[in-house]
Amino acid sequence: MPPRLRSPNFPCAATSSPSIRSQPTAHRSRASREFSQTTCQHATLRRRRFYDWLNGHGSLLKEPLPGSTNYLGAYDRYGNLVRAPPGWTRKTQEEEVKVEEPKTDEAEAEPDKETPEGQEAVDELEMAVRREEEKNKDTRKQKDDDKLPPETAEDLRPFPLNKHFRSQPVLSEELREAIYRRVARDGASVSLASVEFGVSNERVGAVVRLKQIEKEWIAQGKKLALPYAKAVLAMVPTTPYIDPSLPSNKGKRPITHEAINDLIVHPATRQQLFVPVSESRQFTRVDAGKAFDNDLLPADDRIPHPELVQAERDIASGLSLQQRRQLAEERMEQELERKKQIELKRQEALKRVKTVSGRRWDFVFEDVSVESVGRDGRSAKGVGWRYGFPHEDRKKGQVKIPTKVEA
Amino acid sequence: MRKKPRFHSLKKLKVRQDWSRWTLYNLFKLSPPNLSARTYFQQKWTAKSDTRAYHGEQIREKQWKRLFRRTLPAVVPMDHKYLARYDGSEQAAGRGAGADSQEKARMPPMTPYMQMTYFPIERRLDTAVFRALFASSVRQARQFVCHGLVKVNGKKIIYPGYMLNPGDVFQVEPDSVMTATGAQKTRSAAARRKAREKGQAHAESIKGVGPIKIPSIKVPLLADSATGTTSTPKAATPLSTETEPAPEELKRHLQSLMTDVEAVLAEEVKAKNKQKLRDFRQTVRKAISLWKRSTPGEVSTLESQLSFLKSHITKSATSSSAPSDANPQLSRDEEAKLQNAFDRLKEQAEYDANWNKRDPSKPYLTPWRPRDYMSAFAFIPRYLEVNQNICAAVYLRHPVARPGLAEVPTPFSYETGQLAFNWYLRRR
Repeated sequence: MPPRLRSPNFPCAATSSPSIRSQPTAHRSRASREFSQTTCQHATLRRRRFYDWLNGHGSLLKEPLPGSTNYLGAYDRYGNLVRAPPGWTRKTQEEEVKVEEPKTDEAEAEPDKETPEGQEAVDELEMAVRREEEKNKDTRKQKDDDKLPPETAEDLRPFPLNKHFRSQPVLSEELREAIYRRVARDGASVSLASVEFGVSNERVGAVVRLKQIEKEWIAQGKKLALPYAKAVLAMVPTTPYIDPSLPSNKGKRPITHEAINDLIVHPATRQQLFVPVSESRQFTRVDAGKAFDNDLLPADDRIPHPELVQAERDIASGLSLQQRRQLAEERMEQELERKKQIELKRQEALKRVKTVSGRRWDFVFEDVSVESVGRDGRSAKGVGWRYGFPHEDRKKGQVKIPTKVEA
Repeated sequence: MRKKPRFHSLKKLKVRQDWSRWTLYNLFKLSPPNLSARTYFQQKWTAKSDTRAYHGEQIREKQWKRLFRRTLPAVVPMDHKYLARYDGSEQAAGRGAGADSQEKARMPPMTPYMQMTYFPIERRLDTAVFRALFASSVRQARQFVCHGLVKVNGKKIIYPGYMLNPGDVFQVEPDSVMTATGAQKTRSAAARRKAREKGQAHAESIKGVGPIKIPSIKVPLLADSATGTTSTPKAATPLSTETEPAPEELKRHLQSLMTDVEAVLAEEVKAKNKQKLRDFRQTVRKAISLWKRSTPGEVSTLESQLSFLKSHITKSATSSSAPSDANPQLSRDEEAKLQNAFDRLKEQAEYDANWNKRDPSKPYLTPWRPRDYMSAFAFIPRYLEVNQNICAAVYLRHPVARPGLAEVPTPFSYETGQLAFNWYLRRR
């Protein structure tokens, strides 16, 4: 493990915990049978060291730290919690009386500082989450000397050697419930809820689906895994929900859970390109996209929330609120019309096939053409058994694992 | 035949995908690769063998080689405000690399592509079940799948190598999840003896002096939190006084009761720890046991305890003609507080009784608690959305790299990832 710097006023968490000698392993005197093939029964040096570590440093990781995460990266080489204030002592499950609440009074930094490439800084987003958390807890103003400050990015590393991975916060139970209510009850669209809660589109959909299953379970009287859920959500960092209806949360913005405008790196843009253009030419993102690939759209259209860019452009062009709203509504209508067309097409395609439901499987009758086998009669699109073309599904190496499961 | 090497060896430290103490120790012991005095082939070989011992150790090398892709997925988080304000031509201004500016532009952090070598493995069903914290190791997750405990989109899938598609929901049986992630039952005689000793020590620490042994060994902390239990040590204490207690004593006890009420109410609604509630219960029992002919056993349920306290306190307040400061009186708001505290207590007790009660028929230790060392491994990557209540998760998208972060959870350093990637690049 790479050495982690300790805070100047380092506590002695490891020394305060009872230092335990290595576990007494069976010390059998060596038998006279030198020819024996059985392994040595002595506690080897390695095993002794292992148990020493396990009873010292390792014992700190055995139980979860109440009100905080407890990863290997949060400790230094000697088993001291790096972020702990000087007077802090770890409490065991029995004697721990109050929930650990971190406190510091930093001012909240604005997370949306512009980076040169117009990217969002993910670290800033996550730090904002933690700052908000600590602010919430700070309002209670409980005076206690043994409190843990919030985790830094380093403290959230389960693998100390990997600097590019950290445990990222998950949605808290209240936030999930709020997202579900917004979408299922209030009827907000997924993209709207995504912007409101700062949660990506796919995640909003997933939360709603899972919540739906959960409600069904509750209605059926199935037993939920509540103790498990409680324990897991106490162990991982979570994004809290800021209820805007509460008077104490007035003027607070919701905490952004993740970056919602992720642009997928297109394979065509992986190569470096030198395109000579005249100096007078305005070479924009659209041109850059064309230079890489003829069909490549600019980033403005490929991000999950292009409507945000449009709205921002309307603001920049100096339109009044009325006009902007009208424009937004027009765009919304267009989008709805497009979706309706797609749905209509799907319905028509469904009408063309006849489905007869069987006991286990549905029989689907659809029109096929003899021509689908292709010129040489060997195309995979061909239907039915063809003379001279044996089925390959009993051949060696044919994988039978399904590639998709219909929802 | 050659002996099969140990899965967790202390001689050859291999990090495995599980939550064992050996893995934790190996994670602690893991060091960056030795890049000097070794040939490039040796470096690559070591990196490959180390990373493969962690990533997809259960699948054959040939299978993994077929899965390997040299193109690694990545995303760039964009700022919509920037996109609206600029059309991108400012980056081509000047001589083609942007106009000169006074302040140094802040560069975004490097995108760690090389930590994404094993991203196709994260798509496998068994690995996803493990990453969603539903199993304590990949091998266990694989067993869950093979035994038909996992459903994908509502259909039973028995293939651990099923490649999840974005949007797939997978569900695991909650009981299996709780068995996999919960503490194990203590079965051996030594373990039972140890648990008993621990329970005794705890009981003594609570009471100060407590010679009475608690019969329930496995869950000494929570045995008394279920409603209606009367086998607590307090219940067994003989009632020494059969007379009406002195008003001073009553007042003292009432004061202690009220401080406990305060403490209970100051607690968060979640009440992560049960110590306060337990203390409160103790003081209530103590206060009740002061009155004659009323053992706590008689007023075992919470409602009867509350009504008993209320009635006796008001009665003693009205009947006694002693000076008022010595009288234990309950004002209106104090009564409301007491009511609140009792409600909280009831809530907790109901939760314990309904959801986390002692049940010897379960294959895991009840009341359920997470297994040892789980917290050190508990993280949920962003490409999964998990609902722990129903033990279901959605595979949102494939894991990606983004500036400064790689979503594939790998314990190795960047150099190791690079070397392993290079190992699999050859012949391609």
